[in-house]
Amino acid sequence: MTGNRLGRLLNILDYALSSLGRKSLKNGGVFIIFTLVVFLFASFQLVSRALTEAAQTVLATAPDITVQQMSAGRQVSIASSAKIPLAPIFGIKKIEERIWGYYFDESNGANYTIIGLPARAGDSGGTQLFGLAEGRLPVASERGQVAISDNVRRQLQLGNRKHFSLFRPDLSQASFATVGLFAPKTEILTADLMVMNLADARDLFAIADGFVTDLLVSVANPNEIETIARKISEKLPGSRVITRNQILKTYKVVFNRRSGLGTVCLLTALAAFVILAWDKASGLSREERKEVAILKILGWQTSDIMLLRFCESLSLSLLAFISGYLLAWVHVVFWGGALFRPIFLGWSVIRPVFSLAPPLAASDLLLVFSLSVVPYLCATAVPAWRAATVRADSVI
Amino acid sequence: MMPDNLVELQAVTKIYNQGQANEVIALKQVSFTVARNEMVCVQGPSGSGKTTLLSLIGCIFAPTSGRATIGGKKISRLPDHFLTRYRRELTGFVFQHYNMLDHLTVLENITLPLLPLGISPGDRVRKADRLLEKFGLSHRRNFSVTQLSGGELQRVAIARALINDPPIIVADEPTAHLDGKLSREVVDMLASLRDEGRTVVIASHDPIVSAHPAMARIIEVRDGIILHQLSGR
Repeated sequence: MTGNRLGRLLNILDYALSSLGRKSLKNGGVFIIFTLVVFLFASFQLVSRALTEAAQTVLATAPDITVQQMSAGRQVSIASSAKIPLAPIFGIKKIEERIWGYYFDESNGANYTIIGLPARAGDSGGTQLFGLAEGRLPVASERGQVAISDNVRRQLQLGNRKHFSLFRPDLSQASFATVGLFAPKTEILTADLMVMNLADARDLFAIADGFVTDLLVSVANPNEIETIARKISEKLPGSRVITRNQILKTYKVVFNRRSGLGTVCLLTALAAFVILAWDKASGLSREERKEVAILKILGWQTSDIMLLRFCESLSLSLLAFISGYLLAWVHVVFWGGALFRPIFLGWSVIRPVFSLAPPLAASDLLLVFSLSVVPYLCATAVPAWRAATVRADSVI
Repeated sequence: MMPDNLVELQAVTKIYNQGQANEVIALKQVSFTVARNEMVCVQGPSGSGKTTLLSLIGCIFAPTSGRATIGGKKISRLPDHFLTRYRRELTGFVFQHYNMLDHLTVLENITLPLLPLGISPGDRVRKADRLLEKFGLSHRRNFSVTQLSGGELQRVAIARALINDPPIIVADEPTAHLDGKLSREVVDMLASLRDEGRTVVIASHDPIVSAHPAMARIIEVRDGIILHQLSGR
């Protein structure tokens, strides 16, 4: 009996597949639209996933805690001496000073992120995130050196030159030499970045001696980050204490929000597709009616016809799902998710060009599957039932 | 074990679109039997109720009232699922217009009734090949049905009706589109099925059919009632 049921399923599946092949022109349109819908959904999902993963990877080496001074709800410079009350807190491994700010380049409309660090990047917990493709990071002992990304180099139109100038607030010029280039894999954070000596950054932004924009705290035991962050807040009233987890959560919230907005837009496309599928499945042609009636007269049950229709819909939708997902994968991995990248990364002049490598997550596959294949199967179920109830004697 | 009378209709009435403005009474209190291994011809003008009668015998639908027993199974008031099952087990239908699926080959058309039974491709082909051989169609096995002549198509239709080895064969105007020679061939084939022990019911205007030596009875139907039954030659 079980063998017969399996045999029935295989026979009807075989018939359904050959039937799809015969009606390739009719099903081709649905297949293309279905593939496109899955492609859009999956691309969006994969870009979102890849960006979140990239942020997670890069931020894994970010400072454990960042301390900033607030005044009237805005960030202001923090005195280097603020390190002193923090030093006795048990569990703090190291406290570094950092100057961090934006530099707007009027000549090309680009906004650079400037970070001034006190020491060689590789030596400090706060700077490990800046992997270099070539050269080195600026050192404390030498002034006028920067490490930049390839994007920034292009924006500055440096070509093979290493030297360039930036304007101080009083419009006098500060000269810099490029000594290092960030690795493309860190572009999510370094696309618009210039890292320089702390003294150079203070000079460029005209920040008073003894002040920095933030303090970077390294903690010996990662489990104690939250506790130490709370103690820092208590020691430095009016400060803003940001943990690495909070930054990561912010990234996730931003990506999830944008992903959600995008999904809402794509749901509209899906709804339109489902209506199309319903419409197509509902409209039985004269030939299709005749075929159903002949099959029923020859002893096919209504359930056999429904199974046939289900097999057709499932085969078509699975094929479109696999094609769409593969196309989305190629789009994200090889073309960097070009269609959706601006939505996630904003429309800055300098966009990160890092490569995306989304992991194949079962949850992502299931989500796209349940938002594409399942609605399609549901949309075609009722028309399939209606087709299956065509009267056998209608052919006589 | 099959009963002596494979077809038993008692006061059977069939009404289409009952209770609606377009209600049609196709059969009125019809009673007759067809014995096992008997070949009968149903005659009558268009709209007389021949096809409805054949559809009832072929388990395509149940009567509106009355009692219909086909192959020992009472089909009156049976749900569609059981009717389909009995249709598959008890009857093979040969149509006036052949009713082939044009996009399939001869072999595929013949094996269509076997697909929902879960019969393996190998067994399906073996069964079909035997019938193709029997009806001299082996050379047309993989042809599209659109490439066949009328006579060949009707032979394919008979082969398809036999693929499930049913005890009753129902044929609706099987010679309507054939010339005299081909008509005779087709009726001979149907008669040979009777010789194999099957019951054959044919609806036809064709004198070649009604005059065939194997024909046991001729049932004359008009306006949904049986006018008379005559013995065959």
